[in-house]
Amino acid sequence: MNNMKKSARRVFWLLALCFFLLLGYLGKLALVDRETISANSYNIRMRTDMEGIQRGDILDRDGEVLATSIQQEDGSYLRQYERARMAAHITGYSSVGKTGVEAAANFELMTPYRELLQRIEGLLSGTDPKGNDVVLTIDMDIQSIAGDLLGSAKGAIVVMEPSTGRVLAMQAYPDFDPNTVSADWDYLIADEDSPLVNRATQGLYPPGSTFKTITALAAMEYYPDWQNFTYTCTGEETFENKVIHCYNNKAHGTVDMAGALAASCNCYFAALAEEIGAENLSKEMKACGITADYGFDLAYSSSIMHLDKDSTESELVETAIGQGKTSVSPLYMAMLISAIANDGVMMEPYIIDHVQYYNGETGKTTVPNKLMDICTAEEAAVLQEMLIGVVENGTGTAAQISGVTVAGKTGTAENATGKDHSWFIGYAPAEDPQVSIAVIIENSEAYGSATPVAGKVLKAALENMAE
Amino acid sequence: MFDLVIMLSRYLFVIYIGLFLWEAIVYIAYEQGGYLGSPYRAVSIQRRLVVLMHLTAFLILSYNTDTHLFHWQALAFGAAALVFILVAIQLLDRFYYEGCPLIWTGMLFLMDVSLIILHRVDAALAYKQLVWMALGLAGMLLLPSVLRLIPRFEIFEWAYIIVCYGLLLLTQIFGVEHGGSQNWLQIGSISFQPSEIAKFLFVFYLASVFRKRVELREFLITSILSAGVVALLVLQKDLGSALIFFMTYMAMLYIATSNEILVLLGMGAASLASVVAYKLFSHVRVRVAAWRDPWADIDSGGYQIVTSLFAITTYGLFGSGLTKGMPVSIPVVESDCIFAAICEEMGVLFGAGIICIFIMILYRGIRITLDCTRRYYSLLAVGIIVMLSFQAFLIIGGVIKLIPLTGVTLPLISYGGSSVLVSLMMMGILQWVCVYCEQHNQAAEEQRLQYLEGGYGDE
Repeated sequence: MNNMKKSARRVFWLLALCFFLLLGYLGKLALVDRETISANSYNIRMRTDMEGIQRGDILDRDGEVLATSIQQEDGSYLRQYERARMAAHITGYSSVGKTGVEAAANFELMTPYRELLQRIEGLLSGTDPKGNDVVLTIDMDIQSIAGDLLGSAKGAIVVMEPSTGRVLAMQAYPDFDPNTVSADWDYLIADEDSPLVNRATQGLYPPGSTFKTITALAAMEYYPDWQNFTYTCTGEETFENKVIHCYNNKAHGTVDMAGALAASCNCYFAALAEEIGAENLSKEMKACGITADYGFDLAYSSSIMHLDKDSTESELVETAIGQGKTSVSPLYMAMLISAIANDGVMMEPYIIDHVQYYNGETGKTTVPNKLMDICTAEEAAVLQEMLIGVVENGTGTAAQISGVTVAGKTGTAENATGKDHSWFIGYAPAEDPQVSIAVIIENSEAYGSATPVAGKVLKAALENMAE
Repeated sequence: MFDLVIMLSRYLFVIYIGLFLWEAIVYIAYEQGGYLGSPYRAVSIQRRLVVLMHLTAFLILSYNTDTHLFHWQALAFGAAALVFILVAIQLLDRFYYEGCPLIWTGMLFLMDVSLIILHRVDAALAYKQLVWMALGLAGMLLLPSVLRLIPRFEIFEWAYIIVCYGLLLLTQIFGVEHGGSQNWLQIGSISFQPSEIAKFLFVFYLASVFRKRVELREFLITSILSAGVVALLVLQKDLGSALIFFMTYMAMLYIATSNEILVLLGMGAASLASVVAYKLFSHVRVRVAAWRDPWADIDSGGYQIVTSLFAITTYGLFGSGLTKGMPVSIPVVESDCIFAAICEEMGVLFGAGIICIFIMILYRGIRITLDCTRRYYSLLAVGIIVMLSFQAFLIIGGVIKLIPLTGVTLPLISYGGSSVLVSLMMMGILQWVCVYCEQHNQAAEEQRLQYLEGGYGDE
């Protein structure tokens, strides 16, 4: 009988433990996982705007209102986007589903802080409780200049602060008017140019010569003798069965790495890649975060790489000069150049700075977070010097700003279906990087058309940051 | 204005359940020799809390925000349910003199939550549920008299298992499918789940067998018969019930033999069987896949679990307030996922309170087992309490994604005639064991005293 009692007690404790597990897991759901789970776009509780709650505003970093809810006569709310197209890909829309910050911050926008207190106050004033405001890292002054400069050229511009990963501006064209998305819906989804796609984060392009920054880093890492490696360029060279051309078949003569970067010599980097090897180059690509999950707030496409130790020689040399099957997003390229500017430290990009409550108090604030080290500070410094050379006396002279040293790399991505895409990635001032930029212009008419745009945006951003 | 009332009511519900649990602690502390307050007062406060919760909930549920009037039908149902609860308190006290009062109050609390949340989800279901509860109550009240008529019902051990097999085989042959499991029998317009009735018989059978010394032969026969029951349930895609039967068997075997090696062997066999079932049956694989990553397949396999997670997490610790959430969007909310609906509208804290009430009932049930001097009744009580508790764990764990979701009912709360009737009858038997042992102990004590007095007389 005593044994039986002992066993019964043990069974009790076992079952009690099961129940305690339930309590613990339920607590975790409600306290830790709450926001991530309930923010899912399948959650209809969040999809339909709750009755009797005013959705919070979306503000830029200076407090300019980008999206707000206006009460109609019948008591319902209409979402209004003051800057319409200028920030369309950032705010997204909240009508036919939700995208952009409207989707990413849906939970905060729909959650009134101290709801009970707001409701009691509302009894007197007759107003509904208001969800929390969301303050972005975006600076609308830079955003507007970037938008004007991009104009009606298909492409994207991402401006970032290298030391923190804050996104200061993000433009993509074609765009749409978030105020009229539901009215324009049929036309928007039928349009072959996909205006609803945010090219800055979701567009994937071959990186072109901007990729040579990664090839250069791979050489520093895996080819100890890279400083003595020179190559005599004749404008064209055959590797295995692949013919590599320099732009317009221009012969660059005997060049070292700095010279090859400045002139954007394809033959040099193809030959260098043979020394590095496919396995090492693919390792370096991963070390540079091409496949890293950087968890950005807005919808984004992960960059794609197709290179491993079994790749053929022609795949290797194509990849090394940014052609081949590699595809990157403009946001990733901005992260890459920011990391080079930031002495090799790649930061997680973010666009939501903090949450602001109805009474002006600051809520949850995003803290800059390091994503990974892509190279040592010494390697970054060497590359930085070469990138200054690109803008001073190489292919990137159009990005120069008077009185400020700019560093960067141009790129031309061959496009199988049409005219080439034009790239520029860079940062300024080179001595103490404040802003970095990635610009892509699709099917550009003029060679290097992204470069002058990038220079002007960098100039405007620096002036704005100094204010 | 009414929104504000609902917002405040959320805190009320959490206070009710918090106080209810506190009074249970007061009662238990008194038994253990500590004094936090009068145990009689604690129980009467618990009963009042059930009534208060009932009033608060039905006033909210019957208010119409458009016309600013109370809906008479909802009010009438609320009143009828209140009468039912009050009558139940009185009658149970009378028919089960010296039953455990905490089990009664806990049971009534859970039943009331059931009526409230069912009325919120679908009023028609609440009406039916109340009828089932009334029938269950009538059955419970008859139970002591019936059991008194049969002096030794443990001798029918073969009858129990044969009827149990009969029911399950009938389901296997004539069963119809409801909600993915082929475990319903239809007779005319009435459909019921034989596996619910089989639960009863199974516990009776095991208690009858294990009341004697368990030798190898009995052990083998019982194990094979039990494994057969579990296998039949798996074939009927009723994985939840299969697990419940298995765990009940293991717990009763362990308590009867106190042999850890047997338990380990059983667990090993079960793990092996699970792997085989996983390989053999696609419905097992589907459940496991939906549990491991419901997000990968939101549109079909993971839909139920994902929507119930949305319901639990969206409104946080205090919930949306009654009528303010969207529990109707959860598939099978009235039975499998009722816990998610409770968490959504009454808050996660309230849901945690419900789990604590199950712990309380488990504790009291084990207490009855420990206090009972007759092996057979002791085993009966432990079988019942393990079955109920494990079933509660299984479905709550499934709904919050701690374990794979199996479609069993949450005892005393989920909608369902078979489930309510069987749960209530089980509670009745548990309490009857409590009453029986209490009286038995008292009688023995009196005899001992008499004997002692007699002994002194001889000197």
